[in-house]
Formats: sequence, C-alpha cells, structure tokens
Amino acid sequence: MKIVAVTACPTGIAHTYMAAEQLGKTARALGHQIKVETQGAMGIENELSEHDIREAQVAIFAVDIEIEKRERFGSIKVVQVPVQEAIRDAGGLIARASV
Amino acid sequence: MALDLRFTCPLASGLHARPASRLAEIARGFDAACLVTNARTGVTADVKSVLAVLAADVGVGDACLVRVDGRDEADAGAALRSFLQHELSGYEDAPTPVTTEAAPILPRLLDTSGATWWRGLAVSPGVGIGRVVAATVVVCATAPRDDLDDEAPIDPHVERRRIDHAIQSVRARMAARLGHRTSAVEAAILSAHVAIVTDPLLLDTLLAAIARGRSAPQAIADAAAHFSGALGRVNTPTLRERAADIQGLCVQLLDDVCGSQIARTAMALEGPSVIVAETMTPQQLLDLDRRWISGLVLETAGTTSHTVILARSLGIPMIVDIPQARRCLVAGEEVVVDGHRGLVVAGLTEAARAFYARELKRLRAREVVIARAAVGPVTTVDGRGLEVGANVSSIEELDAARRSGADGIGLFRTEVLFLRAHDLPSEEAQYQVYAAAVRAMQGRPVIVRTLDLGGDKPVAAVPLPPEANPFLGYRGVRAYVEHQDIVRAQLRAIVRASAVGPVQLLVPMVSSIEEVLWVKAQVAHVQDELAAHEVPFDRDMPIGIMLEVPAVSFVLDRLCEEVDFFSIGTNDLCQYFFAADRGNARVAPLASVTHPGFLRFLKQIVDEVRTRGRWVGLCGEMAGDVRWLPLLVGLGLDEISAASQQIPALKARIARLSAAECVERLAAAMECGSAEAVEALLDQARALDRPRPLVDPEIVRFDGACGTKEDAIRMLVDAFYAAGRTDDPCSMEDAVWRREAQYATGVGNGIAVPHCRTDAVTSDSIGILRLQSPVEWGAPDGQPVRMVFLLATRETSPDGAHMQVFSRLARKLMDAEFRNHLLRADDPRRVIDRLSDELQMAL
Repeated sequence: MKIVAVTACPTGIAHTYMAAEQLGKTARALGHQIKVETQGAMGIENELSEHDIREAQVAIFAVDIEIEKRERFGSIKVVQVPVQEAIRDAGGLIARASV
Repeated sequence: MALDLRFTCPLASGLHARPASRLAEIARGFDAACLVTNARTGVTADVKSVLAVLAADVGVGDACLVRVDGRDEADAGAALRSFLQHELSGYEDAPTPVTTEAAPILPRLLDTSGATWWRGLAVSPGVGIGRVVAATVVVCATAPRDDLDDEAPIDPHVERRRIDHAIQSVRARMAARLGHRTSAVEAAILSAHVAIVTDPLLLDTLLAAIARGRSAPQAIADAAAHFSGALGRVNTPTLRERAADIQGLCVQLLDDVCGSQIARTAMALEGPSVIVAETMTPQQLLDLDRRWISGLVLETAGTTSHTVILARSLGIPMIVDIPQARRCLVAGEEVVVDGHRGLVVAGLTEAARAFYARELKRLRAREVVIARAAVGPVTTVDGRGLEVGANVSSIEELDAARRSGADGIGLFRTEVLFLRAHDLPSEEAQYQVYAAAVRAMQGRPVIVRTLDLGGDKPVAAVPLPPEANPFLGYRGVRAYVEHQDIVRAQLRAIVRASAVGPVQLLVPMVSSIEEVLWVKAQVAHVQDELAAHEVPFDRDMPIGIMLEVPAVSFVLDRLCEEVDFFSIGTNDLCQYFFAADRGNARVAPLASVTHPGFLRFLKQIVDEVRTRGRWVGLCGEMAGDVRWLPLLVGLGLDEISAASQQIPALKARIARLSAAECVERLAAAMECGSAEAVEALLDQARALDRPRPLVDPEIVRFDGACGTKEDAIRMLVDAFYAAGRTDDPCSMEDAVWRREAQYATGVGNGIAVPHCRTDAVTSDSIGILRLQSPVEWGAPDGQPVRMVFLLATRETSPDGAHMQVFSRLARKLMDAEFRNHLLRADDPRRVIDRLSDELQMAL
C-alpha cells in the first residue's frame, strides 16, 4: 500500500519528527511505501505533491494543530490522530489505516 | 602668564563628587589659582572647592576650560592635565541596573505563593532575607530649637572655634576610617566627603555667617541649606543627588558642635536585618554593622546617590521608591528584598520561602561560575593562550583590575605618583605603593614602568627643558643619566617590592642598547647595595623595555640578548611610525594602527622577538579595542594589556576566536591597500567568532537525584542559569511548563524531551539529564523516565542548522540502540561526542 502522512506538533521541535520517524520505520517494516511530510518550526519539509497524494491509498495525519495546505487532500481517505498516537503505536495506526 | 587646559567631560554622570574631589586635592597641592569654566552654563568655579565645582554642573559632553595662574602654574597644569587625560574617565560608574518600564512578569510560583509584595525600583541587585528594622534617620541639618531661642550674646571667636573643632573632628574620623582596609569605592566616597568638609568655600560660608552674628549651629544649618539649594538647581541628576551628601556631612558637624548623636544611626543589629527608612546617607550606611544587613528599603533615594553606589559595591540588595514603606513593613517581621525584580516580599509562606531559598542557591551557583570565568586566563577555541592584563596608574584602580579578571598588571604607570605629589615621593612611599600593587594582584605579575617624564609633563624636582617638540625630545630613559638619584630611588623601591611578589621592570622610550645596559648596571648596583644590607629582593626580576621607538625594531637581535621581555606601546610607536602627532586632530587619522604597513611592522617585530624566545606584550590603546582582537591574536602576542573595564569583553571574544583563522585574517589584512580596507575586512569577519555550542558539559548532568518531574526540569533550568544560557530562569521554566501542559513530553522507553521556544534562552541549547532513579513523567507507554533532553531554542531569528540538529536528535531517540548507548555512557564528554557522531555534526 502507498501511504502519505503529515506530522505537526505544537512547538514543532521534537514530536513532529519522532512521529515521522516512527511512521516511516514501521510502515516500511510492514511492507508498505510511505512518504511523510513534516510541518515543524522551520516550515514544511519533504512536502507532498499532488502526484504523491493521487498515487496513495490513504493519508495519515498525526497532528495536534491545523495543518497547512490542507486543500491538497481533497479526495483521499484521511485518518487523523494526535501526534502521540503515532509515536506510541505506529503499527496499530497503520493497520487501522489500511483497512 | 596663565595656562589654559581644555577638556570635555566624558562621564555619563557628569563631573561628580569623587572626581571633583580628586581634582580639588590635586589643585590644592599648588599655589597657582585654578579656575574651571563650564562653556555650557558659563559658570566659573574654583577647582580647589569641590562644592563650587559641583555647582558648575559639568555634565556629560560639556566643554570646559581650566585656567591655571601662578608661580607654579606649569607644574599645576601638568598635574591637572595628567589627571584629565589618564584618570578622569576611570570614574565612570557602571550603569544603574534599573527595572524596566514594563514591570517584569511575576514568576508563577511566587504569584501563587500567597505572600504579599510591594514593587519599587531595584537599585542594587541580589536577594536578601531578614527581619525588618525601622530606622529613623535624620538627614536634614537643622539647628536645635533651644539654640535658636538663646538670648545670650554670641562671641564670634568662640563660635569660630566650635566650627574649626567640628571640621577637624569629622575629618579625623573619616581619615581614620580611610586608614582601614576599605574598598576602592568606599575610599573614594570617604575621600570625596573629606574634600567637601575641608572645602575652603564651605569654611568661608560658615565664617561669614558667624561674622554676621549667627551661632555655630545656625551657621551650619544655613550652609547646609545654601549648598543643597545651589545643587538642587543643577541639571545633572547625579550632581543634584549630592545634596544628600552635604546634608549628611552638616548633620555630623552639628553633632560635634551640639554634642548630639543624631548622625549615628545607633542601631544594634542582632541578626540578618532588612533596614527600612525614609532615606539614608552613605555615612550612615558605612556606620552600620554590615555583617547583618540583608537588604535595604528606602522610601526615597536618588538612583545614583552615594548610598546606592555603596550598597552596590558592598553587594547589599536595595530597593527604593516604595512610599509608606515604613508603614507597610512591620518591625521584626521577616521579609525578602528581591533586588532583581524590585520587590519586597512579606507575609512569607512556605511556598514563598522555598522559592527564595532556591533563588539564593541559583545565584550562588551562578556567581561561582562567573567568578571562575573572570579569574582564569583564556584560550582561543583552538587552544592558544593570550594573557589579558590591566593598565593602571594608581592603587585605587587595583580592585577594579582584579575583579575584571586581569591576568596581571601589564602596565603600572608611575609618573602619576610624581605628578600628584607636591614634593617628590620618597623611596619608602613608592615602595608602599608598588608593594600594595603586588599584594593586590595575589600572585599575578605586575609590570612597573619607570618614570616616563617629558617636556610636556614638567615636574619641579625633575627639571626638563621646555622643548618645541617634546614627543621627539628629552624624555623617558634619555633623561635618566642626569637624574640618577631620582632613578635610583625608584629602582630601589621597585626592587624591594620584588620580594613581596612577582614584579617586572619596564623601561620607557629606549632607543639603543647603551641605554639598556646603563639601566641594568643601575639595577645591579641597587641590588648589591640591598644585598649588603640584607634587604630581600628577587635577583631574577625580569627587565624589559617599551617598544615605542621604531629604531629598536632593527636591533632586536642584540636587544634580545640583554632584555627579558618587550611591551609594544602602540600609541607612541604608531605616531612615530607615521610621523603624525596623535594630539593634532588634522593629522591624527594618518597614524592608524590598522594601516597595513603598521601591521607588517608589528608582525616583523613579534616574529623576531618570538624566534629569539622572548616574551612580548602590547599595552597601547590598540589592545583595548575588541574589533582589533583578530589581528592581535593573529600576531601571536603573549599578552595584551588594556583598561580594566575592557577586560571582560576582550576575554569573552578571545574565547570565541580561532587562532588559526586569525593568522589567516592578519595575512589578508597585511595585503590590503589601506586602513579602511583592513577595518572592513575585520567587520565582515564577524563570522570569525564561534557561536556557543548546542551542548557542553556544563549543561549535561549525570546521576541527578530527582524525585519528581518538577525537580528534574528545575535541575536542568538551574544548570542553564549557572552556565549563562539563560538570565531569566523563571521565564524559561514557565515556557517549558507551558509546553508540558499541552501534553506530557515523555515519548516512551524511558526518554523525555521537554522543550521550549523562548528568548529567555540566550543561545540554542540541548540540556541532558540522566537520572539516578526513574521518575514519573506521564509518558504514553506508562514507563518512568531515565533520561531527559531539554531542547531550548530562541524565538527570534531561528537558526536552521540548529533546528536540523534538534529534528535529527528527535528521530534518533526512536532508535533503541542509540538510546542504550546514551544510557550507558560514562561521562558527559562521551555523551556529547556520541551525539556529535550520530547526528553527524559538531555540537
């Protein structure tokens, strides 16, 4: 499965990236393809393009705040959870998203 | 006849009592009349009267003309000029730390502690806790009632005697106090008071009143009113606040005349006390038993009054401008004087006590770190040492030199001793001064420069012919042969002082080997004489020369055989090099120390001296300018010596420079076309300075004993504070807790990453704490925390590189192997190295 994800925590220094790391590692270990965009203190990194989103089957938002450029995700299925969830149990989250 | 001197007042607080009394003291040593006219106010004052000078209201930037007229005007003029040029700017006080307009936010813990507080103006920092002692302090000199009613006729002779006696006894008391080991600030204030109480204008005013039929007490009260009235009208606030000093002194005079005890505040302090009063004179503060003064709260006092200056120099926290303080604070009640936030806190609860107990602990930890930083010699980031010494002209400057972290006295100018005194200072008097300097520097070397007089600094007992061109004339060592007695006396005093501690002899204006050999022969002669009388001294006392005459730079090979060290005097060397008088505004810009030609010249000198294994320092004004440091570091000097107030800034910058880069930068500068090009090169090279690393051992704590999350965060914030990475630990802690309040920062597997974005942090940092036993953190996996990473970044101008480090660290913490390595590391340095490796960047 192809997954796209966005992580964004309140201060944008730590949890944003920890969640991105967990999602990335776990998804690949489960045999999926994943691209994770981070929205942190320095802005958007690894930005998801229209193409990335069209190719994917599901989008995971591990966020505590409103994300930027939400319009991109118009038609895709979205699973939204708090950032902590992605850190605590990335596996369970991905499993639920692939249903 | 008559000699004119011009100067512009450089002091931000104006020509206040301390420099004015020094000026008066110097002027009073001569017969010539000395008058100063303030061009701005048009007021002319007798320089010998401190009160008159104060009333002339010389503020910062005021242009003044000093006219000296009399038989000994040349000497008087020279002495005054020397003071104005070399010492006056040293009377600048550190700016008053005043709380800003917007009242600082109260720390959350204090706000919720349940205690009560009053806000005032913090004029002296620190935190003190003690029991309130209300002081009734009289500061207005008024004649006692019964004296006014007295019908008996007044005998002017009797009244005059009473006045004379009063002045003598007040003066004697202060002089006795000066004899004790007082700090430089106290001594300066006491000297100013002695000068005021013996002011000829004061005496004239008192005698005139008596001649008019007033009694002694009435005359004193009149004079107090008169002079404080005159001062009350001047523009400059500092000078206005001197009215308090005059009132205080007159109260003391009244006490003597009337046999009263009003001036004595007679407070027997029994334990830590917070003195609360309407106001207080410096004399009264000095009279108190300072062991027991935890803090001072005054309803009114000027921010630059001597009482404030004294409190700051004594380290006593002080708050002013709390009206009705005496009504609000209950005698005997325990209160806190918070000289950082301008608060007086009463009704102390457990929480408030705990808060301040911690504040005190933090402050002490911080002081230790600062003291260590100020005292130690610094090295560049790549380990090159550069000593930073102080240039002084008198013992009064030694306290400041030592406190500012001077690695030694790089230049002790001795001619000031000769210019001040009416007669030549005796060998014994000189010995006392040099020995005191050595003792004050506690084992750090003192370089004493022998007499450097010239045609522009005439001294009666050292007759030097007036010359058309004194800078190219008969001066320094050139005049020594003719004045052997004076030279020998000075050499004896210096050699004797070498028994007390490390002393080095420095000879000015040397241009030939013959001069050096002559001086060395005199020193040997003096040493033999002393040895014959079994007077101790250091046989190995190093003898060096000022490098200021260009000729010397071409015979360094021969000189290095005879001389132990060199001190480059860039002021004179530069003007001789460019044939431009630095006192002549039209050509002074030509004599620029940043001229590439001069830099090449310096490099040549330093290279040759170092090749021959001799020590070389630099003591001109060039050393005091932080901008030129890369050049000086690049030259490879052993030492630079500058004014004390420059030393902390110089040391701080040296520690952030790389010597290797400075060498390159100097080479590039020497290839520039002009001084302007060199300066531009240096300015743009601000990037030479290393920013503070993200982590260093100061903010890594292993095996911290903490029971709770609160303790752990507090421990890290305190470490930041001690390391100077925050100056406002309360705000920083609040910022961390604001984030923590959103959701706990435990991320599982025993790791927590509390963090904050706040300008309360002075530079982006990663604090690391490994706990002795795990602590509950509210982590999502329920596990307690073993290791805490406090990530702190400034809010303004976020540094992209740092953010990258944080994000990489955050990702790495998700890796079990990485975590385990950190948990098992032996010491802070290992952790930092590991982090640097893993994150692939130098932290």
